[in-house]
Order: sequence, then C-alpha cells, then structure tokens
Amino acid sequence: MDSSYMGKFLVIDLDTGTTATLPLSDELKTAFIGGKGFCAKLLYDLVPEDTDPFSSENVLMFLTGPLTATSAPSMRGVVATKSPLTGTYLDSFFGGHFAPSIKYAGYDGIIIKGKARELCYIAIEDDTVAIKSAARMQGLGTLETLEAVKAELGDPGFKVASIGPAGENGVLYALIGCEHNRQAGRGGAGAVMGAKNIKAVAVKGSKLVKVKDPRKFMEAVQAANEELRNSPDVQGLVAAGTAMAVDFANEAGILPSKNYQRSTFAKASNLGDEGQRKHLWIKSSACLGCPIRCTKMGAVRTGKYKGTITDIVEYESAALMGSNLEISDIRACAYLVTLCDELGLDSMSAASSIAFAMEAGEKKILDTEETALEFGNVATVEYLLQAIAERRSGLGRLLARGVKRAAEIIGKDSDVFAVHVKGMEAPAWGPRGVSGMGLAYMTADRGGCHQRAFPVAYEVGGEKWQGKTLDPTGVEGKGELVFHLQNYQAGTDTLTKCDFGGFGVSPATYADLLEAATGLHLDPKEFDTIGERIWNVTRLFNLREGIDPTQDTLPKRFVNEALEDGPAKGHRISKEDMHFMLQEYYRARGWTERGIPTKATLVRLGQQAAGI
Amino acid sequence: MVPLNMNSTKSILKKRILTHFDICTGCNICQLACTMVKDGGFNPDLARLDIIKSKDNLYNQPVVCNHCDNPYCMNVCPVGAITRDERGFVVIDDEVCIGCALCARYCPLDMCTIRRQGKKDKAFKCDFCGGDPQCVQECPTGALELVEIQSAEIREDR
Repeated sequence: MDSSYMGKFLVIDLDTGTTATLPLSDELKTAFIGGKGFCAKLLYDLVPEDTDPFSSENVLMFLTGPLTATSAPSMRGVVATKSPLTGTYLDSFFGGHFAPSIKYAGYDGIIIKGKARELCYIAIEDDTVAIKSAARMQGLGTLETLEAVKAELGDPGFKVASIGPAGENGVLYALIGCEHNRQAGRGGAGAVMGAKNIKAVAVKGSKLVKVKDPRKFMEAVQAANEELRNSPDVQGLVAAGTAMAVDFANEAGILPSKNYQRSTFAKASNLGDEGQRKHLWIKSSACLGCPIRCTKMGAVRTGKYKGTITDIVEYESAALMGSNLEISDIRACAYLVTLCDELGLDSMSAASSIAFAMEAGEKKILDTEETALEFGNVATVEYLLQAIAERRSGLGRLLARGVKRAAEIIGKDSDVFAVHVKGMEAPAWGPRGVSGMGLAYMTADRGGCHQRAFPVAYEVGGEKWQGKTLDPTGVEGKGELVFHLQNYQAGTDTLTKCDFGGFGVSPATYADLLEAATGLHLDPKEFDTIGERIWNVTRLFNLREGIDPTQDTLPKRFVNEALEDGPAKGHRISKEDMHFMLQEYYRARGWTERGIPTKATLVRLGQQAAGI
Repeated sequence: MVPLNMNSTKSILKKRILTHFDICTGCNICQLACTMVKDGGFNPDLARLDIIKSKDNLYNQPVVCNHCDNPYCMNVCPVGAITRDERGFVVIDDEVCIGCALCARYCPLDMCTIRRQGKKDKAFKCDFCGGDPQCVQECPTGALELVEIQSAEIREDR
C-alpha cells in the first residue's frame, strides 16, 4: 500500500562516522502522526537526562510530517533538539524547500547524534551519505555556505540547511538557514549544529512521495485550497504577508516600542505593509506547495543599504528590529534582518538582546564606551550584530548569551527590563493588552513563544471564543482558551502545517488529507487529543531537565509596570492575574497545582510509561 | 533524419504554455502536479518543467518545453523515437527510445532528461498532457498560461 510516509529515519552518528536507518514505528505514526509529535516523542526518548545541549549526547533532528513534500497546501519541516538558550524541549519549524528534499531522499527525518572532530558538511543523496570537510567554509554566512556547498557538490539541485558564524561560535540563539528566506529561527538550534561541527546538511533525492488514494488526495487538496481562498485572514497574507500586522498591533496597543516600555509607535506605518510596499517589495514568493505566497521579495533601492536583496520583513522582525529599537526606516530594518539571517542569528532574540543593552546603556548600567547604546541608532545595531555573531568584544560576548544571562551577569536590577520567558526573548505581542497571550508565553514549551497558541486573535482580533467575546485584559477563561488553542495547534503541527495555512484549512480537511495520503483515519476532534498528548510529553521533558514550574511566569516588566499608552493604558498582568490564569490552565490540563502532570492524565493519554 | 520539405505551408493552431516570471512564486505546485499525473507521486526534481531561481530567490523563471517548430531533440534522435503527434506536440515513444541522451544534450532548455526505467535508460519530456497540461491547471497564480497561437506555422523547412 502506498503511503506518504517514507517509513524510516536516517540516523547519523558523527562520533563514529556511521549511518543507520530507524524504522518508523506504528506507535509513532498512530499516537504522534509526525512533525511536532515526532519531535516530542523522539527527543524524550533519545536525549539522556541532564544532557548538556552542546554535548555529543544531544541530538539534532530534521523531521517532516506525513504531508510534507506533497501538494497539500502549506506544509513545512521542523528541527528539534534540546535548546541551549532555555534548556527546554525545542522545536523550530521552517518552510521553504529543504524539508521536502528529506522525503524525496527516502526519509521521514534525519537524526544526528555525536560530534564531528572538524567542521564538516553532510551530503545526503538517496541512500548515499557523505561527511565532508567544511574547513574552507568556516566563517561563511548561511547563504554563502549554501552556494559553496552546491558548488562543491557540483549540483544546484541539492537543498541545503546551513549555519552562519553565529552557529559556529555558539551564540545561544543561533539559527539554521533552510534554503532562501526560511530559517529554523528560535531557540538556538544553529548553535547545537555548530557544537556538532556541522556547517551544512545538503539533501537531494530521486524518490517519489506517493499517497494512498491519489484521487481522494487531490480532492482534499482542492478542498483545502478552496478554504484558503475563502479565508479573509489568508487572503490578507496573500496580499501583504505578516507585515499587515504592524498597523493592527499598533492600533491594538500591543506593538512593543523601546524595549516594551511603550505599546504603540508613532511611525508604525513606515514599518508595516505600506512602508514595505513602497520601499522594498517587488514580487511574491512561496514555499514548496503553498498557494499563500506570504513572502514578498524585494530590494532596497535607495539610501545607505541600497542593493540589499530582502525577504519581507516579517511582523516579529519589523517590531523587534524596528519599533522596539525605535528604528523607523524600513530599509535599515530590512538590511539588519537580512544581516541576521546571513550571520545566522535569530533576528527576534538578537534584536531583543540589543534593546536590552540600549536600555541598560541609557540607564548607565552598561558602559557605552564600546558603542553608542541609544535607541534608534542603526549603526550601533549593525555593529552589535556583527560582534554578537563573532562573539568578539565585551558586548558581543555578553549579548550572545541572551537577555536572561546578560542580566544575571551585569546585575544592578537589570532583570527588571530583561524581557524573556525561560530564557527565550519574548515575541512582539506585548501581552499587557492581551492577558491570554501572556499566559501563552508563560506556558509555552520552549519559553517566550507566540506560535503555541495565539489568543490575540480572540482577545483583540475580533474572533469569538465559543460564541463569546473575550475581555482582552480579563483573566477568566483564559486558561481554558490557551489549553484548547495549544492542543489544536500542536495536534495539527504533527502535520507540519504552516500556521497561515491553519487560518483557512479546517480540521476535517486536514483529516481528509491525512487519510488519503496515509490511510490513517482520524476524527477531526482527535487533533486536540494528540496535541494534548504532545503537551504532556514536552512538559515531562522539561520537568526532567530541571525546568521548574515556577518558571511559568512573565518578565518583570509585564508584571510590575503598567502600560503608559494605547487602549490598555494602565494595565499590567499582576502576580494575582498570573496565578489565577495559571491555576485555571493547570486544571484544564489535568496537572497538579504545581503544574505537574498527574498519573491519571498520563494514563488517559497513553503516556504512563513516561511518568516522572 | 527527417526529410526537409522546403515547400511546407501547413498552418495550424498551436497550443503553447506562456510563462510569466513576474508572477511565478516558485511554489513548485506545477512540478508537483506534473509528477503526480505522470509518475504517480510527488518529486519536483523529476518534473517535466523547471523553475530557475536566481538572485537570492528574487527571480523565479518557469521553463517549459517549447514543443519547438524546429525541435532540436527530434532532429538529433538517432532512432526516430521523438516525433510530432497529430496535435502538434513533440513526444517520445518509449518503445523506440534507446536512452542515448542526445536529446538531453542538445535541448537548450534542458527539457529532456534521462531516467532509469526498469533496466534501461529512457528519455523523458513534456507531452503537453495531450493538450490540457496539469501544471497549467494547478498553477495558483497564472504564471503558466495556456495560449493558442494562430498565425505561426509548423515549419518543416528549418
């Protein structure tokens, strides 16, 4: 029987230089489906307790889902590892063209263990795996590496995941570039790759990804595409990508400015779709198999940074590299984000670390002799990004560790403006105007993350939750809301679906796609159950790795300082608010008051064996 | 060799795929459609059309078989495996093809590829799906457009 699963993982052990295949088990398929499910289960099983993320024992995995590499709209791939930034479970999804190549080579994923003795790259072509020296690529940027690898292999058909100098140098939030315009951005997977001495992974395959029932599958693809066409949210992304969110967030009073001291920015329109359309965009671009084409390719044509070829400046980057640093020139912002991508830095964490340094500089806590630590100074940001990626100079080495560690090192109460959760710098949705989003940050499995649940849509985005309009700054019902949103998100992330596809495609259509592709029958409601199972496994991983539930908390700035501006002016998320939301959330999850999964919950989800 | 006919004036309505690099997003849905309908599975590398991506992905140029008036592939095929069918499309006869790869070597657009089929090498190229190409049907943006060219002739006096 044909199936869109390839039936095996490629396992590469860099300590011994050997490769093997691991069969895809029925349990993994039926209980965890793929994507995020694979990440959770495999990471829990393969990473020994208390593993140092930079040690040989940590694993780095590039995983797919059952619909990756097919024409099911908007599927991606995912990197999983133990995060060096947070010490937690980490998955980081990436779109583009790299993940499908893993399946065309015949695998559902690549699992890398051990550590190479010297900087290397791994070339995989179907059953052939070669580990080659990357000595000559040392210090190259992500795209420079991609070109160098393809040139050396003599075949532009390889798809390449690569790290820049930041990953080589162990910057705790280094990313993995996955072909053009796409990155496994958050949590430092690039630093783990660097610690394993892997500069790049190149993959090419000649296998067909088949589906069980081609006719039904293509019908489901058509239904999914129809749902995308009928979704106003998706059509907004077709027109303007995530840049359209800048003006929305500004009006809602959740756009961070000046290291989250404010929640509106007077020049927001310069950074949003209006400014980007005027100064950057030339055409739309898409990931493999995706009709949404949210990427807007462009070029900086004028000014100091002219000649820079740039992707759309995504909302998170526009806000964190723009308004949060008080930079309003979108051309400079595009240049800085492109620089991050090439150096191999997560633009969100990098920009937040710099915002932290700027505030510390303005408060005279940090010495400003090295560079002018003041908001709005583009030259300072450019200087610091280079210094961080190369881990040179006092500031470069300090900020390469992220804001949590930087605040611990410089002390002087700087933790009051270190904006992170569990060590991961917060996303660009200031939660004081949307308390459910705050709870989503508090409880996200990898630290400060907006992609595990997105209550913003229900709190200020006009969507009703179970027929009711929610009070954006209220706390009641937010635990239940986050519980449900997280479960569904994780459940459908087993397919590696892009969040944007998920705005339009219905659970029933996802289930149809899965069944036609693999034969696995799923009631659409089961995505929630599978998601809940995953949330318990990742929670158990984090508890095992010593992440204390007291870390389910918000940065001090959001707790102690009331908003100065915007519609939620005067509001903060107090300790009492956090406690209320968290207890409601733990109850919904079937966890104890301290946030630990109960045996009954684990038994219900079939995960009793993983108990702690 | 196909005999030259200097006096041909046969006029025909030609179907062609017009490509629009300005609209193409590089999503590869055309290629996925191609291998699904022709090979029964997905892999854009095996598709009978290509997308050339350049300048850090700023340019995506779809490349399709031209079904040329003067097909180089057909001209160089030593065994007559490549012919023009009754609808005007340049097609390969699998039974006759010996997998010599001359077509692949001389097509300026790299639209002929050689693949292992069973124990033998065979040439593959676009056959226009018999007149209603799946790639055009599934392209989400209109970057591939089916057109009919009225005025041109199929010339055999190359």
